This record gives sequence, structure tokens and C-alpha cells, in this order.
Amino acid sequence: MPKVTINDRTVEVEPGTNLIDAGAKIGVQIPHYCYHPRLSVVGQCRMCLVEIWDNGKKMPKPQAACSSAVMKDGWVVRTDTPEVHEAQRGMMEFFLINHPLDCPICDQAGECGLQDYSFKHGVAFSRFRFEDKRTYPGRERIPLGPNVILNMNRCIQCTRCVRFTQEVSKTAELGFFNRGARAEIGTFPGKPLDNHLSTCVVDICPVGALTSTRFRFAERVFYLDKKPSLCTGCEVGCNITVEHRRGKIKRYKPRFNPEVNDYWMCDFGRASFERYQQVPRLNTIRARVEGTNGKTGTTGFSSMGWKETLDLVARKLRARSSDGTVAFLGSGFLTVEEAYLFAKLADAVGSPHRSVPVDRGPAWTIPNLKGGITGTEAAPNRRGAELAGLTPGTPGPSGTLLDHDALLLGDGASQCSVLVVCDSDFGKAAWDPAVVERLRKAQFLVVFGWADSPLAKVADVALPVPTHVEKSGTFVNVENRLQRFEAACPPPGQDRPLVDVLGDLLGRFEPGWPQRTPAAVFDRLAAEIPAFAGITWETLPATGAQLQIPGAHVLGDTVSTEERE
Amino acid sequence: MSGLPAAAKAELDEVRKRYPTSEAALLPALHIAQRFWDGWLPDEAITAVAAELDLAPSTVYGVVTFYDLYHQKPVGKHRIRVCTNLPCQLRGCEEIMETLHRELKVQEDEVTPDGRCSFIHFECLGSCDTAPMMMINDDYHENLTPSRTVQIVRGLK
Amino acid sequence: MSAMFEPVLTRNVGNPDALTLAGYKKSGGYEGLAKAFKMEPAAVVDEVKKSGLRGRGGAGFPAGMKWSFIGKAKPRYLVCNADESEPGTFKDRLLMELDPHQLIEGCAICCWAVEANTCYIYIRGEYTKAATILERAIRDAYDGGILGDNAMGSGFKLDMVVHRGAGAYICGEETGMLESLEGKRGQPRVKPPFPAVVGAFGKPTVVNNVETLCNVPHILVRGADWFKGIGTDERNTGPKLYAISGHVNRPGTYEFPLGVSFRDLLDKAGGMYQGGTLKAFIPGGASAPILPASQIDLKMDFDSVAKAGSMLGSAAVIVMDETTCLVRSVARLANFFNHESCGQCTPCREGTNWMELLLHRLEDGEGSEGDGKLLLSICGHIGGQSLCPLGDAAIGPVQSLVKGFWPEIEQHIRDKRCPFPHRRYFAQGA
Repeated sequence: MPKVTINDRTVEVEPGTNLIDAGAKIGVQIPHYCYHPRLSVVGQCRMCLVEIWDNGKKMPKPQAACSSAVMKDGWVVRTDTPEVHEAQRGMMEFFLINHPLDCPICDQAGECGLQDYSFKHGVAFSRFRFEDKRTYPGRERIPLGPNVILNMNRCIQCTRCVRFTQEVSKTAELGFFNRGARAEIGTFPGKPLDNHLSTCVVDICPVGALTSTRFRFAERVFYLDKKPSLCTGCEVGCNITVEHRRGKIKRYKPRFNPEVNDYWMCDFGRASFERYQQVPRLNTIRARVEGTNGKTGTTGFSSMGWKETLDLVARKLRARSSDGTVAFLGSGFLTVEEAYLFAKLADAVGSPHRSVPVDRGPAWTIPNLKGGITGTEAAPNRRGAELAGLTPGTPGPSGTLLDHDALLLGDGASQCSVLVVCDSDFGKAAWDPAVVERLRKAQFLVVFGWADSPLAKVADVALPVPTHVEKSGTFVNVENRLQRFEAACPPPGQDRPLVDVLGDLLGRFEPGWPQRTPAAVFDRLAAEIPAFAGITWETLPATGAQLQIPGAHVLGDTVSTEERE
Repeated sequence: MSGLPAAAKAELDEVRKRYPTSEAALLPALHIAQRFWDGWLPDEAITAVAAELDLAPSTVYGVVTFYDLYHQKPVGKHRIRVCTNLPCQLRGCEEIMETLHRELKVQEDEVTPDGRCSFIHFECLGSCDTAPMMMINDDYHENLTPSRTVQIVRGLK
Repeated sequence: MSAMFEPVLTRNVGNPDALTLAGYKKSGGYEGLAKAFKMEPAAVVDEVKKSGLRGRGGAGFPAGMKWSFIGKAKPRYLVCNADESEPGTFKDRLLMELDPHQLIEGCAICCWAVEANTCYIYIRGEYTKAATILERAIRDAYDGGILGDNAMGSGFKLDMVVHRGAGAYICGEETGMLESLEGKRGQPRVKPPFPAVVGAFGKPTVVNNVETLCNVPHILVRGADWFKGIGTDERNTGPKLYAISGHVNRPGTYEFPLGVSFRDLLDKAGGMYQGGTLKAFIPGGASAPILPASQIDLKMDFDSVAKAGSMLGSAAVIVMDETTCLVRSVARLANFFNHESCGQCTPCREGTNWMELLLHRLEDGEGSEGDGKLLLSICGHIGGQSLCPLGDAAIGPVQSLVKGFWPEIEQHIRDKRCPFPHRRYFAQGA
């Protein structure tokens, strides 16, 4: 493989690697706007100019690093010469002379390529004093489609968005129109930017020209706390960054993982956090008890603490596990660790009745270098929950299996002395009055969950637990890739992490469940369940681990794990 | 009208044979379409060409807006282009523009009320030896003087 | 010298017979092609190399060398650059309108030499007359067996297509032209790869100017040594068309051996218009730096003009007399480059626009002393940093104005108005 020396540091690269990527390998950042590793190289912005010596002979002009590919030994590259700095200063000036400089009212401020490079490579004064700035009257806030708004005045004509719709989403709604200083981007009348990946153009827009309808004016980005997480919109398991301010989520952004979602995510997934804000939150324990207020024969809600509530649930489970049926209805939103503990609870009371209902979601493909991943289930972890033990067992000789079909569609719940549902928002059915009525037929209904769903409202015991952005855990995606995520913010109210609650409850049945952290639970289940063998919480790679499951989808070669902006 | 007129399609089919890709026929296709749509390319013409060549309308629109000879608004039956680049400027093209403005009584790039004429200034038309000059539709009119310009314009039917 | 010189490229001018296949053949037409078909393609390339023929489109790159770079892949293409759009240039139009078969023959020889079975003649959209004439001539050539599946009985398949552009100067840049040929916006490509390797439709492609190719039949018929005998020296050989316009009495296209002096050219064009005084001239089209009257004895060949600080370019000579406001003239050229910039790369898109605004301001007498330095600085940020040569082209006239004619700018600043009387029809940024 050829070697190239950039700013006195030498690196060996695949033939054909461009200088921006080569530099990134050794920590040399070469500024750029139009280059994106997943888009064709157009060399338009001219921000990445560098000087190259080929076997000691200096190339006559500065070269664009994005379109200079290392094919052989002998290149010496400098990004820090006076000529390069001068070129960068000149380019920044060109970008800014016709830019509105409206940072105080621009959503991009704080994550803007123009701001960042201005500080790093620009100058603090303007020589464009007497001429009028170019404007695009009437094109300051054009909805390009349902999710993206264009302010043409801020555009720097890098055409990343145009190339994205041509090359990645392959929908080609965006075009580059006109010529010269009047060049602009836009859509053709009647063909709006409307594809399932459309908001990705906002992510790759280096300036504030394209903003997200959803996030626009929601928050200044420098006030956001950002944590790596996973999207729960479907089973693809897109890696995301959860961005919130004091626990209120403002947006999801895709986080690079070449094995899964690459640089992208779908608009459906991006909107999925809104559910946490639209759905009423369950954040206190609610237990329906007899004889409230000293009156017998009445029922009401008692304010109970975690200990007495779990004692109550344990008592009910223990009492009925001998003389009645106990069913466990899981959810594709549980983490592997939670599902494991939930299954262990079912084991403890000897119930085969455990299953994971899951809704069908929109079947959208998230492109990656291997072609893409399509998710059809509207939950992130049905596979992981089942692998962790939430698969139906064998009922006794006389009994029928109370799986999710029997419970949700049939009359199964009426046979239950205790029905434990985890979680309260396992799918659309949790919001269907007919289903709720069916489930309520259980003599004692326990519901864990973050959502105060109709099901939680009718439960005998409703236990508040965190949403996925408030907890840590692992999910297994449609390709059987195990991925870990961390809590982005603390849960509100009385919520306790579900692994903690389930561990606590389980401890009432059998000794040896002191592990109340996802990490400890994971390591225990990995030692027990063959599919997870050899994986530990700590050593799970950032891009996840492929579970070895017979008959599962076989993946191609692994791809580069280096991210470029 | 939706889609290309049959005669235009037949013409285009002939042109397509000359290129290894269908996209390559786009420039000729737009020339043809412009003839069938009275000298300009409304959105429906762009949509029709895009459908015919299996291209995204935004791509075709990008091409239309790139080239000076494609028009995105109605033009006169006689489209007058006056060369105003340096060699013609040295020989008095401004006078020709003024003359046209006076004679046609419309602004540059506007169509006369009878739809007969529209005029615009243009970059070098490669006839610097006969400056000043103008192009009316496909024909060059050279060595102009204001009076000859008036005479030519009045002669347009 | 010029008196003795017998026209080569324009020998058929004034002979309407040459428009027909028979008429062209009568004056020795297609003998070059016949000769080429009897030679190995590589031998044809060598002959053209030996002749020293340099590209007549503007850059002056040796044609034979260009042909020898052609990639191995097939099919290969020849794209004839007939997008003559450089202000002041009108020589190729003459060649196509008055002697179309000469071009067809040149293209055919080149196709044989580089083993390209298809030639696209990319002609600017405005040249409808030339396109019609060429198309008719190509049809005749097919009918006459010159083109087609068995060109001149050689067994070589040779197709020729006239492709009309649609009005964009940038399509004269070879990769912009290839994009345009492929039906796209004519935005130049990043190089490398060069067209010789990845050109039209991703295949090896030679792009040559009309006049360059028109020289080729003569080189084949009369030999490289004859060709080398014309011109200034080894690096500047052959006949050359000079298109002269502006303030001269008989503007037109004149053929001379490469390296005729500007003074001889001016004489041939009937001297200064209405007895005016030469103030300055542009030796090679709108992108060439302006030269002062003191350069009147300049030899008009590639190297001499370059040494004088300008470039021969397309040899489009624009002559300006003492009534010309150079600030205004350069502002007009800046307007042209701003209008023609494709808009993809930053320095050209923003820089040409800024230069135009600034020059209009200077012309209107609203400039200040610092503007000269500012203009040169903008030029410095465009030059060598744009994606394609249009950026470099745009700064030529501006730099020469500031460096060579500063007193004239100063006068505008001092008087707070343009000292020259002239009409002003155009709005800024039009």
C-alpha cells in the first residue's frame, strides 16, 4: 500500500484514498465543505486546497485534497504553508461576502461549518464593503418538503444535498439550478423533497441553508446535551445521538455506524422521540387496593413505595403461581437485560406463558455500504427479547399456551390469575380499548412502563420505569447485531430502572440477584445464553457485535470504521 | 398537453440513436421541445422531456436553467439577441439596444403585446468582424446601424 | 513574408464549390484521409507530433502529444470543440461555414489515428447556420462513402454527429463540454482523470479545436516538414487564423504563418478605425491580458505573446483606440465571466461576481485607491485555485488593467466619474 507524508507524518493507505481521508488517519484535519465520504467527489468548494510535492517536485498549483488520490509512494503534502493558509483565507472570504451573517437568528449557529472555519481559517474583517450582498428574495424559508426548509441566502452551493438525493436516497428531488453567482438549489414544481431519508440533507448541509422543520427554533444547539443512543423506531437499530436539554429531548441525529445505518437515519425514526412528549407519562407508582379510606368493599389507589408495591406483586405472584395461571407479556422495546430478568421471573413462578408482541412498521431501507438494512417491525428488540428468554414455553398437558395472540386477540387473560405486562406501550394494542378490556379480565394485572397508557390506567399495579433514553442496555437488530446504548438523561419522578426493579422483584423469589445494573445483568446472561457467548458489556465494540445464530442473515466484509464529517 | 407531441417524439427517437446513453439526448430533446412549445420550456415541457428520457425533472430543470438558449418564460415569435460583448461594445451595440427598446416599446426580455418580438442582450455570438450585430431566431443580422435595425425589425412579420 | 504566404486553412474561402463533396475533392480534398488510411494509426500520430501542431483552441497544447495519451479502453471518442464562444473569436465559424469538409477530413484522420469510431462535433447552439452546413456536408460524406461502416473502403467504421450546445461558454472547457455532451449541466470535471483516459461516456476521448483539426489534412498531404517550415520556430509552427475585431477598418479573419507581427495584422485589417490611435489590444480573446500600444511589434505566436505577459489563446485580437475606456471594457469582460461561470466552485462563482461589481464601481468613479490592491488580491484568490481554467481566464484582463493601466483607474477615482464619453445601457450585474 502506498505511503503518503502529510505535515511530516507518514501514513500507509489503500491506493486511491484521498488526502482528506488519509489526513484524518493521522489526525490532520483538512477543512472541507463539499466532500462527503458517501457522495461523489466534485471538488467544488475548494476549501481543502493543499500543497503537494511529488517525489520532491512541487505541483504548480494548490490541489484539492478531496480529489487528490494517493496512488503511489512519494507524495509529500503540506496543509500548513503560507500559501495554503492564504488560499483558505481567500476561500472563507468568498463564502462570507454573500452570506447573510445572521448567526444570531440562524438555527445552525453552534454547529455551522462557516462559523467553525471562519474562526479557524478566516479573518475578522470584511473587504466587501460597498457592494450589496446577493440575496434570493422570497427564497428565505422555502419548504422543500414536509421535513426540510431552505434558506437560499445561506447556501454555499456545496451541492451535498443534491448529490444525496441523487446518489443515496436515489430520489433526485433536489437539483442545482442556474449558473454562476445565481446558482441555487431547489426542487422542481410538484416534486417536493419527500423521501424517508429526507432530513439527512439537513445533517449534511454544512451551513444553515437547510433546517429541519421539526427541530427549527426548538433549541440553540449549544444548549444541548448529546449522548450516543439507538433509535427505537424499528428493528434496524440506527445509531443515534440523543440531544436534549434538561431531559427534554429536542432531536435525534444519526450517529455513524458503517455496519448499520452508516451516516443516515429515516425521518420516521427521527420523529420517534416525540412519542415520549406526546404520551402522558407514568411517573408515580399506582396500586389499586381494597378498603381505601377505611371503607370496606371499595377500591381506590394507594400511594405506596417501591418496597411495599414489589412485596405486593411478589405476594400475588407467589400465591397464584400454585393455583392459577400467570402470564408474562413482554415487549420489543425491552432491552436484552430487562427481557432476560423478565423471563427469569417467569421461570421463578414456573410460567411458560411469555411472548413478545410487536407491531409491523413501515418497511424502509437505511442505505449502507453493503446495500442497506430494512426494518419491518416497529420495535427495536423483539429478537433480543426472545433470545433473552421471552419465548413461549410448553404449557402443561391440559393447558393452552397464553401467548400474545391468545392474550391480545383472544380471551386468554380471563384464565390468568396474574398477568404481568412489560411495558405499558408495547404496541398499538396497548392503546386499543378492546384489547385493554380483554387484558383487564386477568384477576390481577401488573403493568410496568413509562407511558400512562389506557392499559396502565386499568392496572392493579402500575410501576413507572424509564424510557429508553433514560436507561442503558442492549438491543439486537434485524441482522442479529447486538448494540449497546447508554442513558442520555435521568428518569423523572419515582421511576427506577427496570433492571433494578425486576432484579429487586426476582430477589424475592430466589437468592442471588444482587446485580441490578445492565452491565452485570448482561454479563450474567452472556455467560448463560449461547448466542451471546464470549461477549461482555465492557468489550462490546462501539459498532456492535454480530451474534452467531444459525440460519441468521450473513453479512459481507466489514467496512472502514472511520468517520468523516 | 401531456407528454411530448408525437412529431417531437419521432424526431427525438431519431436523435437518440446517435448516443450511447439516453441522457445524452437531453440537449437535443430540449431544443426539439422548445420548438414545439412556442420557443420556451414551460414546466409541462420539462416534465415531458424528463419522462421521455427517464430523468428526474429536477435534473432536467437544472440543465434548462444552465443554458442561455433555453427559455423559462414566453418569448416573442421573433427572438432578438443582441451581441453586447466587448468587440460589439467597441462598435456601438448600446445604440442597437436603445434602438430596439425605442422601436419595440418594451423592456429587455419582455414580449411585445402582439407577441411578435422580444429582445435581450447576449454574450459574444462569434461575429465580431461584423459588429454590431444581432441574431433574430436563427439568423444573423450584421454590420448594424440604428436605422438598419429599425428597418429589419419593421420587416419582421 | 505575409505577401508570399499562400493560405492553407482558408484556401477554399471564396470558393462556394468547396461546400460540396465533389467541389472539395476537386481541390485535393480527402487526399489526406486517403493517405492516413494507408498508414498505421501510430504513424499518423507521429506525423502530427513531428509537425509541432499546437492546439488552436486557446491552451496551445501539442495535438500529437494529446493523441498519444489516449487510453487503451474502447470505444474511444473524438469530440471536436466547435463551441467557439471566447469573445472576439469567430475563426471556427468561418472554417465550418465555408469549408466544412476540411473539418470533416481532419476529424476523420484524427479518429483513425486514435482509433475512435465516433466523432461528436460539439458546436455552440448559436451557430445554427454552421451546424446546418456541417450536417449537410456530413450527409454528403456518408453518401460519398467517406464516412460510415466502411470509411473510404478502409474497413474502418466511422460515424460523425453534430451535437448542438445550448449557450454556455463553459462548455468550451473540455470536461464541461463532455458533461454537456452527456446531457448534463456543463460543469467541468475534476481532473485527473483526464479525458484521454476517462472522457465522453467514461471512455478515452480526444478533444480538439476546429482549427486544430483543420490543419491535420494538410499535414498528412504535405508532410510535417512542410508544416514546420511555416511559423516562428520549432515550438510555434504552421498557419494560423487571426480573428481581428474592434477599432480596425476591416475586421475579419486573416490567415498568416504563426508568429506574424501585430503590426502586420493591423495593416492587413486596414489600420485603425477612422484613423484613430492604438491604445491597447487583447491578443488572444477575452481571457488574455490586455497589452499596451507599445507592444505593436509583438510576434503573435504562443511563446512570444506569453513572454509579453499575455497569451495567444484563440488568436482573437481585439483592438482598442484612444476613445476606449479600459475600465469599462474590462468591466464588460468581468460581466461576461461572471455570467458564464458555471457556479460550482467557490472562487470563480464568488470572485468573478465580486470583480464585476467592483469594476462597475470603479467605472462609475466610486472607487478608492485601495481598490487596485483589492482587485489584485481577489485575482490572487481565484487564480490557480478554481476547479477549471475559467477562473484563471477571468483574472487575466483584470490583472493587466490594474498593473498596466493604473493611471486610467486613478483618473476615474480622482474625477469621481468616467472620463470617457459613452452610452451606458446596461444595468450592473446584468
